[in-house]
Amino acid sequence: MATCSECKKFFPLEEDRKRGDCVQRVIDPRQAYYQAKPVTADKDAAKCPSFEKR
Amino acid sequence: MAATAETVKELEKKQEWWWAAEKKRSRRLDYLRKAMWKKGAIGGLYPAGLQIDLERPVMQTEKAKELESSADPYVIKFAKMLAHVLDNKTIFITDRSQLVGYLGSAPNMITWDPTLAAILNHEVFNDPDSLPQPLDESLKVIRDVTNYWGGKSDLDKILPHMDLGDVMKVLSGAIGWGVPLGRGGYSGKDYEYIMTGVRAFEDIIEELDRRIDEADARSHRFDASREISDLIDKINNWEAMKITLEAGIRHARRYARLARIIAENFESDAVRREELVRVAETCERVPAKPPRTLQESLQYDLFIQLFSRNEAIEGAWPARPDFYHGPYYERDVNIRKTLTREEALDLVGEFLIRAAEVSQYKPKWAREGLQGIEGTWVWTLGGVKKDGSDACNGMTIALLQAARLVRVANPTFAFRWHPKVSDEVMRECFECIRQGLGYPSMRNDPVLVANAMHWHGHPIEEARLWVHQACMSPSPATKHGFQPMRMANATANCAKIIEYVFTSGYDHVVNLQIGAETPPVETLETYEQFFDAWVTQMKTIFTILVRPVNRARILAPKLTPRPFLSAVSERSVESGLDVLEPSISRGNAWITAFTWVENIDSLAAVKKLVFEEKKYTMAELKEALLNNWEGREEMRLDFVRNAPKWGNDDDYVDSIMLDCLKAASEFSHEIKCPSGNNWPILPENVSGNIHYANIVGALPNGRRLGDALYDGGISPGPGLDKKGPTAVLKSCSKIDHVTNGRAFLLNQRLSPTQLSGEKGYQLWKTYMKTWADLGIDHVQFNCVSDETLRSAQRDPEKYQEVIVRVAGYSAHFVDISRKTQDNIIQRTVQGL
Ligand code: SF4
Repeated sequence: MATCSECKKFFPLEEDRKRGDCVQRVIDPRQAYYQAKPVTADKDAAKCPSFEKR
Repeated sequence: MAATAETVKELEKKQEWWWAAEKKRSRRLDYLRKAMWKKGAIGGLYPAGLQIDLERPVMQTEKAKELESSADPYVIKFAKMLAHVLDNKTIFITDRSQLVGYLGSAPNMITWDPTLAAILNHEVFNDPDSLPQPLDESLKVIRDVTNYWGGKSDLDKILPHMDLGDVMKVLSGAIGWGVPLGRGGYSGKDYEYIMTGVRAFEDIIEELDRRIDEADARSHRFDASREISDLIDKINNWEAMKITLEAGIRHARRYARLARIIAENFESDAVRREELVRVAETCERVPAKPPRTLQESLQYDLFIQLFSRNEAIEGAWPARPDFYHGPYYERDVNIRKTLTREEALDLVGEFLIRAAEVSQYKPKWAREGLQGIEGTWVWTLGGVKKDGSDACNGMTIALLQAARLVRVANPTFAFRWHPKVSDEVMRECFECIRQGLGYPSMRNDPVLVANAMHWHGHPIEEARLWVHQACMSPSPATKHGFQPMRMANATANCAKIIEYVFTSGYDHVVNLQIGAETPPVETLETYEQFFDAWVTQMKTIFTILVRPVNRARILAPKLTPRPFLSAVSERSVESGLDVLEPSISRGNAWITAFTWVENIDSLAAVKKLVFEEKKYTMAELKEALLNNWEGREEMRLDFVRNAPKWGNDDDYVDSIMLDCLKAASEFSHEIKCPSGNNWPILPENVSGNIHYANIVGALPNGRRLGDALYDGGISPGPGLDKKGPTAVLKSCSKIDHVTNGRAFLLNQRLSPTQLSGEKGYQLWKTYMKTWADLGIDHVQFNCVSDETLRSAQRDPEKYQEVIVRVAGYSAHFVDISRKTQDNIIQRTVQGL
């Protein structure tokens, strides 16, 4: 099972590598930005359409 | 932006200020301004592309469920819910931005707080166009969240403790504009505590720890008393405050981490990488520690505002950005020269944009009332320092210049004029007005300082530190001076006062007995009896509105506390009491008096045509009004044309204004807020003149049900001021702007052609001198020609950026209803 830890977009916390941020580039009709959302390293990535293998 | 000076000049000559601004601003500001999602509702509906954010309600609900079995008191549970959101919400950093922070999970999201009121939650169901797709999934989430908070929201908690008769009358929507909730409306801030560079969150946490330790030790001695018992509540409050401050620091550091991730992994441009590192360093510094630079100071302020809006719905933004950020501007730009003026303008312009994009889901009646904007974010500029000396600084000028570059409709500015304001600053104010922003509104500082001392007993040093609590009302940003909730939830639709005189208090629009059962109007034999009935209805309406707000304020500290706002307020950190606790506040309440001037013109018409000239009987008039003047057009026109109208320097009608204000201000001293202070009235309209058009019945000034009401607190009716600007000012100057009420809104329209060039400035300055000498507390200007406004009605796409002054705020002309647009065009253009 693929997990977030195997994804390019996962950035682990230095103090606790089991947790981190999913950082993604978003372009909406008005602006472009980077977003971050807390995720755990062992989160199931099977159904994530944005998963990108490291 | 690359543009020849010629092009800009040409555009300015054609008064196409919005296109000129686009060419004058930096590439960064141009990108950020165009990147902004405008959030103001149009006709009560959110613009296409905006969505209601479901992330936050889900987080709040999951945390609330998790805490159900916890033994924590509510205030701590509430603080933990807030912390949970700040720790887990999606954050983002927009390209080219240097300031960060937003309430929602994406720039086009409107946050919805399901903990406030079940009635608000049910409205979300009726907004399918604003819900994320797939709709079925969104509706399921909303159902789960709404079901959970049913019976648990703030309003559910306070209702059993209220007088339901009063509440029903308020919620009928006929006489009031607000819901009496501690966390609903807006809150002032104790800027003197938090924004002077002396302390920041870590310092306060240290103080809270000390107080908790002391109280804990004290409460475990061999002793027992009420005081020791109360320490338990205080310790809980302090703990809750600490939880929110710690969450705030962690939240900022999430931005610092994201900025570093972008810089190290994604950004190829070296200059932008440096900017991102600076963003990271800024968010590592503030709000934990006091700011050292302008960027840190603006970021710090922004975080505080956002945390406060995570805790409550805030439809206003009391602020004094030049006063509190000015020292950092001065240091960076003029002393250390670490920022050029242009770089500083970029930061200041972005600060305005960051504020302009903030949004919170509000009930439809509020969205309809706040056409085109998110709330009345009127930022205070100018004024004096505590010692009475001029407070204007480089940041005052930078804000006024940045406003002309980014041209956002919200926030707007209100300028505290006083005799020591320099010509340079006055010219900057004038440029904003001439360029059609509709702001700053001009406030007469000496009058308003005296007013604050008169009505609420603020000592002079405190009164001098006032900011606009919302559109108009001065409230000091000090320990005891600031107002922590929207006491103006007691906002009165005053045209109902005169309407109820004719119906003995029965409201035919909502079919409810709301007003007093005064004698049938046809039995009143003299004008004095008629006026007495008016006074009775006025007192009744004001009382019905004030009682629930007082009650909500008394209940708030226990039932609907605000731990974050408490944590940034000296009075709460010191006392351990919630910031909403009335006993630690001086009390600074007012009744916003919407649709006030209709009373004056109506009373004058009745006095003249019924009692003096006896052209009509009262029974005839009553019948005509009940039938909405139908079949009596000639009679109606008689009441419009042949009765004196306010605003023409006519003592006949102006003295009636004074009688009404005298009666209201006497009553203001009788009714008290829970802090024991007065409830003065403040005539102004936001855009209640349109909102109430279908709620106020026909009136003796000739108005029919459905017609727009007058636009300003003491502005004459549109087109009814026939004797020029000086006559308007003279009428307004008959009011005592210190003792007759809290403040008085005056809208004036000026001709942009007449204001062009140096001559235009000199004309305006002379007008302002007359205004100041006459002791009038407020004036604001629309300076866009009929031609431009009519063109904008015909071709809205081309005129997206035209801004107008609506009432206490500005809005993009294309975002307001046709009725409001017409109402603005109808206002008399005053030749100076
Ligand atoms: S993109 Fe999907 S898989 Fe990758 S880190 Fe984010 S949530 Fe996990």
